Amino acid sequence: MSNKPRITPGGVAQAGAAMAYHTGSWRTQRPTHVHAIAPCHHACPAGEDPQAYLALLDEDRPREAWEALVAANPLPGVTGRVCPHFCESACNRSELDEAVAIHSVERFLGDEALAQGWAYPVDPPAADAPIVAAVGAGPAGLSFAYHALQLGWRARLFDALPEAGGVCRSAIPTYRLPRTVLDGEVERLLSLPGLEFQPHMRFGLDFDLQDLLQDHAGVFLGLGTQRPHPWDIGGAIPADLHNGLDLLKEWLDHGSIPSYRRVAVVGGGNTSVDLARVLKRAGAEHVYLVTHAALPNQGESPGDEMPALAREVAQALEEGVEILTHKGVHRLLLQGERVVGVEITHMKKLPDASGHAVRTAFEGTETVLPVDAVIPAVGEVIDPTGLEALLNGAPYLKTDQDGFAGHALVYAGGDMNGRSGTVTEAIGDGRRAAMALHARVRDVEAYAPLSPIAGWEQINPAYYEPSPRIQETVLPVAKRTGCAEIEPGPSAHQAHREAGRCLSCGMCLACDNCFTLCPDQAVLKSPENLEDGSRYVFDYDYCKGCGLCARECPCGFIQMIDEY
Amino acid sequence: MTAVPIPLSDLRRRQPRFTGISPGHRACQGCGELLAARLVTEAAGPDVVVANATGCLEVTTTNWPDSAWRVPWIHSLFENTAAVASGIEAALKAQSRSSKVLAFAGDGGTFDIGFQALSGMIERGHNVLYVCYDNEAYMNTGVQRSGSTPVGAATTTSPAGKERLGKRHLKKDILSIIAAHYMPYAATATVAYPADLRHKVRRAIEVEGPTFLLVHSPCPQGWGHDGSRTVEVARLGVQSGLVPLIELERGAVTGVMPIREPRPVADYLKAQARFRHLFADSAEAARELQHLQALAEHNIERYGLSAPGPEAHDSEGADTVRRGGNQWA
Amino acid sequence: MPLALEGSQAIARAVALCRPQVVSAYPITPQTHIVENIAKLVADGALDCEYVSVESEHSAASTALGAAAAGARAYTATASQGMLYMSEVLFDISGLRVPLVLTCANRALSGPLSIWNDQSDSMAVRDAGWIQLYCTSNQEAIDTHIQAFRIAQETTLPVMVCVDGFTLTHTMEPLELPAQETVDAFLPAHRFARMLDPQAPLTIGTMVGPEAYSEVRHDHHHALLAAADNILRANADWAAASGRDWGGLLRASGPADARIGILGLGSLIGTLEDAAEQHPELPPTRIIALRAFRPFPFEALQAICADLDELVVVERAISPGAGAIVAAEVRAALSELPRAPRVHAVAAGLGGRDIGIGLYPNLLEVAQNEKIERFRIIDLDPQRLPEELSA
Repeated sequence: MSNKPRITPGGVAQAGAAMAYHTGSWRTQRPTHVHAIAPCHHACPAGEDPQAYLALLDEDRPREAWEALVAANPLPGVTGRVCPHFCESACNRSELDEAVAIHSVERFLGDEALAQGWAYPVDPPAADAPIVAAVGAGPAGLSFAYHALQLGWRARLFDALPEAGGVCRSAIPTYRLPRTVLDGEVERLLSLPGLEFQPHMRFGLDFDLQDLLQDHAGVFLGLGTQRPHPWDIGGAIPADLHNGLDLLKEWLDHGSIPSYRRVAVVGGGNTSVDLARVLKRAGAEHVYLVTHAALPNQGESPGDEMPALAREVAQALEEGVEILTHKGVHRLLLQGERVVGVEITHMKKLPDASGHAVRTAFEGTETVLPVDAVIPAVGEVIDPTGLEALLNGAPYLKTDQDGFAGHALVYAGGDMNGRSGTVTEAIGDGRRAAMALHARVRDVEAYAPLSPIAGWEQINPAYYEPSPRIQETVLPVAKRTGCAEIEPGPSAHQAHREAGRCLSCGMCLACDNCFTLCPDQAVLKSPENLEDGSRYVFDYDYCKGCGLCARECPCGFIQMIDEY
Repeated sequence: MTAVPIPLSDLRRRQPRFTGISPGHRACQGCGELLAARLVTEAAGPDVVVANATGCLEVTTTNWPDSAWRVPWIHSLFENTAAVASGIEAALKAQSRSSKVLAFAGDGGTFDIGFQALSGMIERGHNVLYVCYDNEAYMNTGVQRSGSTPVGAATTTSPAGKERLGKRHLKKDILSIIAAHYMPYAATATVAYPADLRHKVRRAIEVEGPTFLLVHSPCPQGWGHDGSRTVEVARLGVQSGLVPLIELERGAVTGVMPIREPRPVADYLKAQARFRHLFADSAEAARELQHLQALAEHNIERYGLSAPGPEAHDSEGADTVRRGGNQWA
Repeated sequence: MPLALEGSQAIARAVALCRPQVVSAYPITPQTHIVENIAKLVADGALDCEYVSVESEHSAASTALGAAAAGARAYTATASQGMLYMSEVLFDISGLRVPLVLTCANRALSGPLSIWNDQSDSMAVRDAGWIQLYCTSNQEAIDTHIQAFRIAQETTLPVMVCVDGFTLTHTMEPLELPAQETVDAFLPAHRFARMLDPQAPLTIGTMVGPEAYSEVRHDHHHALLAAADNILRANADWAAASGRDWGGLLRASGPADARIGILGLGSLIGTLEDAAEQHPELPPTRIIALRAFRPFPFEALQAICADLDELVVVERAISPGAGAIVAAEVRAALSELPRAPRVHAVAAGLGGRDIGIGLYPNLLEVAQNEKIERFRIIDLDPQRLPEELSA
């Protein structure tokens, strides 16, 4: 019997019979779903994937959003406040209008988790799981311990101080980072089953690296930089010289600070800005911040900008801190050993003959600034106690990208490595070290590099409506006194709205464009999320490979690849 | 490749939208007309009867024994679609059936050869939605100029050469002619704004009486652009002002899609090989380019397409995506 | 009881008795009175149908096509240029196998312009794939229209009922109109299985490639041939209901043993029958009315002509450059007979030229000629011809 279709009167055809004709054979390219890495994700030192948690919040699933967030960073309430948000600098949305205020959403989720009492989505390790050690309960050590737990290890965390938190506790003013938030997140972390915290344990004094290596399957060093960078001007050191970091810690621990009428703070980092603001709060008439760099975002060349957060600098200026940019302290004016003023000059960092940037003062620009005190806040260095062998005379502990310190199973991160100057970077160091240690000991694949990146060229801007970034509210200057947090943070509505501004770079937005615009109906929609995180599937029986879906995908989630 | 937990055929049966056209049709890659027809049939739903003129839409969907149509469908000839639709509508009325009759034709079948039948259908007040898929030339026969081909466009019967810059005559203002029938509802739409298109289809179907929809549908082959750029080209047509999206009721303009930031017409033209000769280094080419720019500006003035400020339904806002699309149902 | 009716009016009333659901109408002489009369029936509430006044014959046919495809009983009428204008659609209607009924009020073709009767229009669409039935009288026209609707829906083929323009359409005479119940009993409610229906969607009018087009044509051809049975049955059933038998595919009058036959289509048959009565001195003649031109009644024709020596085919159309149309087919059909009559071909009555009693002896003269008449126009006025043709 032939199975040829027989003609009907008039050549009538049955509805939908064309389904038997598979146009997929026409195709030379096929569309595929490619979860490209959002630039914010790529830029986040802590390894957060903001795209993922913004999407979940946009879908009104805040707890899952928080869980996606703390998969990488256990301290979002902290970083949402203190991070310079590398993510936002990379955000594709800034090409369209303004970057998504990712830090606001991060902070909102962090605070919401504390308010709701959400527990970390971490399973307790087995009671007899091997144990790893982290020295220093700052952000790096906390992160290492947390991620070790996530990977099935037990962790033991040592710190010289009675409380965990590191610089978050010792150097960040409470008006930026309220203690309730820090305590809430740190305590939640420390109370995780399998994590053991040992305070009052001074590395190099109460125990050493050898002890640790004997008792632990791996060691992470996150001791931070404890010693102020030496500072003097032409050998003159005033008798009442205080280091900025010490003053800040004093204020944070005891609420006390010397009162000055006119004071010069030297340095352009967050410590000097924080200190300047604390001094202003303590009643100083004039607080000068002297930096050889320019204000944030106003530099003349890379490296010519104050490393402090732009937002903090702006608030310091609002509060009356006088920032003297492109200036340096040339000479101290002393009466006896007491400072009565500083001579400042115009100063810039310029390349010398070998190309190294060096500070250069310009003769003939000297000015006298009468002050009661000068406070250097020009950075800190490692306290080498117990680390002599590892440091081998270097100011910082050299590690590879994973934090491997080149010795047995010793990893390190945070301020110690000389690269990571922020809480967020420290958290990332701890995370990567835990993953690398895990990969090495378990002999499993290390984490995959983040690629490809969904750059702006992958985005189809036609599909996004301009939408202004939220304006964060800040207390008026008159009310910025004491320790009260000056930024109340976003409302739930604001956070949701901001999440809705996310372009969803590199990941399906479930917008229906591919489903709606396929002339061949080769894109099917699924009621549930599919394995690749999208709601759509290509029917290659019919897809002709025209590429329309890829071009009209707003977020670069569809890529065309050659068939042959 | 994506691993899918359920067989595709099952998933296809469970799709949230009824579409009057199935896959397996033979339209070119990235065909704007099939996309437009797909969107129209989705908005119209299953309770329709379609009369279809000769053209790409017909030959690509009904290669016996295959048919891509899931709704009752008839093709008779090129120029008589409106009359066939009139007959169907009269029959439904006589039988007290309530299905909506849709007439589908291209621009050749509407602006030119089928115009008389269309005019008659409207004049007699048949309850038919007539959809013209406008790809601005006779594509099915190999890209010959039609009454809809814009001035300056090269086709195989209006080629560009030493003495000619493509078509020498203006695109026929079909909508005004249609509207002059004291038409209850006539509108233009485009594949670049599916939500707007759906809205207009539904509106046109609600009206008891003749309604007309002109859907700008890029033809990758005939216009000379990659099939992946069909929607992009259509969008530029609107954003430049050359393709005004308007609604007319009883001849009066009752709705327009404002243009937020008019794009230069050159952006639209450059995307298509049929206008390539307008970018030659000659005074004539420059003048014709300015002519098209002036036509776009005239549209903007005539229909008041300049938007005072951002609006959700203007040329920038109307295609904004939302996470979650239209949800499932 | 007979009513005095004009032919067009009678046809309109007959059509109305068939309860058409959609009538598409466009005026053209001499058809116009038919659609005018239907319009009046609708206006008076005597006929409940969708009456669509289209803007051209092309649309008249197309509208009827659409209506029929949607499952309605559909009707239209035309003539002459209108037939040519809709000819594209006629081929499509039959090719799509959509049943409907069309009246052709036969009229000559332009140019030069002539509004008067001949059958060039329906002959021009001979190959359109329609059933063509020719009526010899207005009474036959009434009855044939009623039969046509039944034939159409049984065969899913369109039926063209040909009625000589003016000669029949504009002639007032006493006619029997059947009762509505009689028609209703004869003509079942309309049903078209392949109708456009959202509940059972079909695709009508596909593009058929070389792999199947011949088979579609074969199917169409055989459907037409098979329609002969439906025509015969409709004729017989209507004869039983009405008492009037129009012979089915063809019919003959005159002595059964006559050796001469005259074959024609339409109203001239009546004239020839009258003439035969008035000329008993002339040789006995069988007068054959070809009722069904499509399907062409090969067997019936062979049977009725088997014993003839001479057959004159007289037709009201011409195929310039060849001459005969109907006669050419008759010759071909009879050539299969073991002893075929000689077939003579003439045209008469073109462009409304009157056919009178005087034609009859002229036709018999042709039959008795030594030479077979291949083709000529028999009623030429030599004085009107250019000199070089008048010899």
